[in-house]
Amino acid sequence: MALFGPSKREGDDGVRFSRTFFIILIGISAALIAFDRPAHRAPMLSTFRAMFDDVATPALEIGAKPWRGLRNIGPWWKRQWELAQENRALHEELIELRAWRDLALTLRDRVQLYEEALNLQTPALGTRISAWTVAEQRGPFVRARLIGIGYEDGIREGYPVVNIYGLVGRTVDVGMTSSRVLMLTDLNSRVSVMADRSNARALLVGDNSDFPRLEYLGREPDLIEGDRIVSSGDDNVLPRGLPIGEAVRDRDGHWRVRLYSEAAPIDLVWVWPYEPTPAPEANPPVPLVSEDAGEAPSQGQAG
Amino acid sequence: MRKKSNDRSSWPDFILIPLTLVISLILYAAPSRIPTGPHVSLLLPLITLFIWSVRTPTLTPPWLIFLTGVAQDLLSGGPMGVWALAYLVAFSIGRPRQIEGGIEFMTVLGRFLLVGAIALGVAALAGAAAVGAPTGITALITDGVLTIILFPVFAWVFARRKERTSFF
Repeated sequence: MALFGPSKREGDDGVRFSRTFFIILIGISAALIAFDRPAHRAPMLSTFRAMFDDVATPALEIGAKPWRGLRNIGPWWKRQWELAQENRALHEELIELRAWRDLALTLRDRVQLYEEALNLQTPALGTRISAWTVAEQRGPFVRARLIGIGYEDGIREGYPVVNIYGLVGRTVDVGMTSSRVLMLTDLNSRVSVMADRSNARALLVGDNSDFPRLEYLGREPDLIEGDRIVSSGDDNVLPRGLPIGEAVRDRDGHWRVRLYSEAAPIDLVWVWPYEPTPAPEANPPVPLVSEDAGEAPSQGQAG
Repeated sequence: MRKKSNDRSSWPDFILIPLTLVISLILYAAPSRIPTGPHVSLLLPLITLFIWSVRTPTLTPPWLIFLTGVAQDLLSGGPMGVWALAYLVAFSIGRPRQIEGGIEFMTVLGRFLLVGAIALGVAALAGAAAVGAPTGITALITDGVLTIILFPVFAWVFARRKERTSFF
C-alpha cells in the first residue's frame, strides 16, 4: 500500500487511496484546528498566514477586478439616469457641506486652543492609506477581508480601517504586501464604544451576524434607537470618535448596532495609522525626591 | 501487450487540475457581495475537487484534498484545518470509486449530496471547536444548498463531451 500517491487494488475497478495516509492527514488537520485558534494564535502561524496572504494577493487582486467591474454593468440609460440623480444629490450635499466645513474648521481651532490650555496629549491620526479589498470572507467562522497593502506601505497591526461611511474593522496579520482586516462583525472583535448623544459606554461584540451586539451597557442604559454609536477610545485600541453605526433593538430586545460601513460595498478602504498610548512600564525609573535636595538620581541610575 | 488501464487521466489534467483548483479558490475568496443583498458563497473548491475525483480519481489524492482545504482556510482568514478536515472526511467516505464506463447523473448527484452534506457537517463542528462558539449553521446550509443547486451546471461543463449521455 503506497503511502504517497494513489494506489489501486488488484481486481478492483475503482481507485482507492491509502487509508493510513488519509488518517495521517485528518490528524494533521485536527492538530491545526487545535493550535490555530483565532483567539490564541501562535506568532509562527500568524507569520505563515501573512506570508501566504502576500503570495496570494496578486492572484486575488486579479480575481477581484471583474467583480468590481460587474457592479457597473446594467442598462446604459438606467446608469446615466442614476448618475444624473447622484450628481444632483452630490451638488446639494456639497452646498450643505461647505457650511459644515466652516463650522468644523472653527471648532478645530477652538479644540486646539482648549487642548493647549489643558496641556492635553491626544493621540494623533496619521495620513490615511488607501487600499482595495482583494478577498472577502463572511462565512460562519470568520468575518475578515484581505487588503492589498502591508508593512511596506506603513501598515501595522491594530490600525483602524474605515470606508466612506464608517469603521470597518482593524488590521491583524500584517504581511509585507497584504493585511488581513478583522471586521467588527467577527466573533473575535471587541471594541469599546459610546453613544454620541449620551456618552453611554458599551462594548461592541461581534457574533458573526450583520448586527454586532452592545454589551456591558448597565441596567438602565441611556440609549435610544437611532443613537449614533462611535468608538470611545477607552480600550486604547482604536481612536475616539470613529463613526460605527446606530443603535437598534433586536427581536429579543437586546441592543445591537446597524453598521454604517455596511451601507456600501467595502471595496475601497482607508487605513488610519494610529499609535495607541503606550502602557505604563511595570517599574518605571521614578525620580526620588528628598526633603533636603530638590532632585535625586532616578532608580535606574541609582547604584 | 499493453495492460488495459482504467485510469482515464491524461497530461492536460496535470495542468488543468491545479489550475481549476486555484481559480475556484480565488473565485471563492473574491469580494462578490452586494451590500443590500444576501451574502452566499458558492463552495467552488468542493465542486472542483469532486468533479476531478470523478473524472480522474488517481490525480486527486488525499494530499491534494488536504492542500485545497488548507488553502481555502488561509484565503478565508478562518482557522486552519477546518475545511481540510471537512474535505478529507467527506472524500474518504463519499468519493465515487467507480471509474470504468460512464456514471449516471443521479448517481453523481447523489454522491455529491453525500460528500457535500458530510463536508458541511464536519466543517460546522470543526469550525465551532476552532472558534470556541456555535457557528452560524444557517449560513453554511445556505451555501450548501446553493452549491448543490448549481453543481449540475459545473458538472455538465466539465463532463467529457463524448460521454455526456452517461454524464461522466
